[in-house]
Amino acid sequence: MQSKFTDIELIQRTLKGDQQAYALLIKSHQRYVFTLALRFTKSREDAEEVAQDSFIKVYRSLSSFKQESKFSTWLYTIVYTTAMTRLRKRSNNTVALDDENSAIQIANSASTWDANMAEDRSRSFYLNQAIEQLPADDATVLTLFYHAEQSLEEIALIMGIEANGVKVKLFRARKRLKEMLERNLKHEVKELI
Amino acid sequence: MNNMEEKLWNYIDGTCNEEERAAISALIEKDDIWRNAFDDMLQINSEISALSLDEPPMAFSYNVMEGIRAHEASKPLKTSVNKYVISAIAGFFIVAMVALAIFLLNNMSGSTATSVPDINIDLSIFTNSNLIKVFFYIDAMLLLFLADTIIRRKRNSAAVKSV
Repeated sequence: MQSKFTDIELIQRTLKGDQQAYALLIKSHQRYVFTLALRFTKSREDAEEVAQDSFIKVYRSLSSFKQESKFSTWLYTIVYTTAMTRLRKRSNNTVALDDENSAIQIANSASTWDANMAEDRSRSFYLNQAIEQLPADDATVLTLFYHAEQSLEEIALIMGIEANGVKVKLFRARKRLKEMLERNLKHEVKELI
Repeated sequence: MNNMEEKLWNYIDGTCNEEERAAISALIEKDDIWRNAFDDMLQINSEISALSLDEPPMAFSYNVMEGIRAHEASKPLKTSVNKYVISAIAGFFIVAMVALAIFLLNNMSGSTATSVPDINIDLSIFTNSNLIKVFFYIDAMLLLFLADTIIRRKRNSAAVKSV
């Protein structure tokens, strides 16, 4: 949802005590924040909690936003650290950040293929499914790069790594996504046969 | 990294320099392997870009605002006025009320008055106009002190927010 005010205007109004302005700021960023949280947590309930916690943290520390970066970059940094903290705290049912095997296990358990319905599924469905199956870090890099319109340098700031590291992660994420997509499509063809 | 893929992704992302760009562009035109790989990558690139974002629940922003309100409400209520100021005002009014009560009891007639012990205090001072002036003077001073404290606090909190 696009607001007629800029992020900075809404932040200034929020700092003056206008809570309605903050509600507008939430509405303009909630889809990006929720998607990012979902890439990490792999569950809508957890993603909602992470997104809510992030927006509350942002509200509490809004006065410390120095405007040295885009507001969205600062916001996603908070979402990223909130999601990371949550993942680390979760002792059971954990998906390790770079553990491809665990992601594949989830993929296998989640793949309840229906031969009749499979024909109707579009390629974007499989792509979405493949992204869901990626390790959290890979899915996050892809979401930040393609959807949240963050540059490599901004992603580096969010993830607390070097820009070159982001480039490598992005390359690996695309490669894994392609492999995952091909694996899912092959699986579907087998089911149909 | 796979060299060809890496170069092609750099080409697609626009992170290579002009020289590399020209070289990769020539390879894509001439070499079928490069062209096929490029087409595949371009396809997946556009497909990822075209994916829609996930929608949070309808009441998401409302829930966040409720969370913020709950957080604000759970903050301990700080006294905005120095406790010594409050104590001084309270002390002053207690003394004034006790004095007024004694004055009223002494001036009451009838059976109620007889039950009160005669303490023989000269209460004419309460009717003295100078005493009334002092009373209002102290009240005015306390009021100014209180106003000063409140204004200082407001100014400090505004300064913190503007950082």
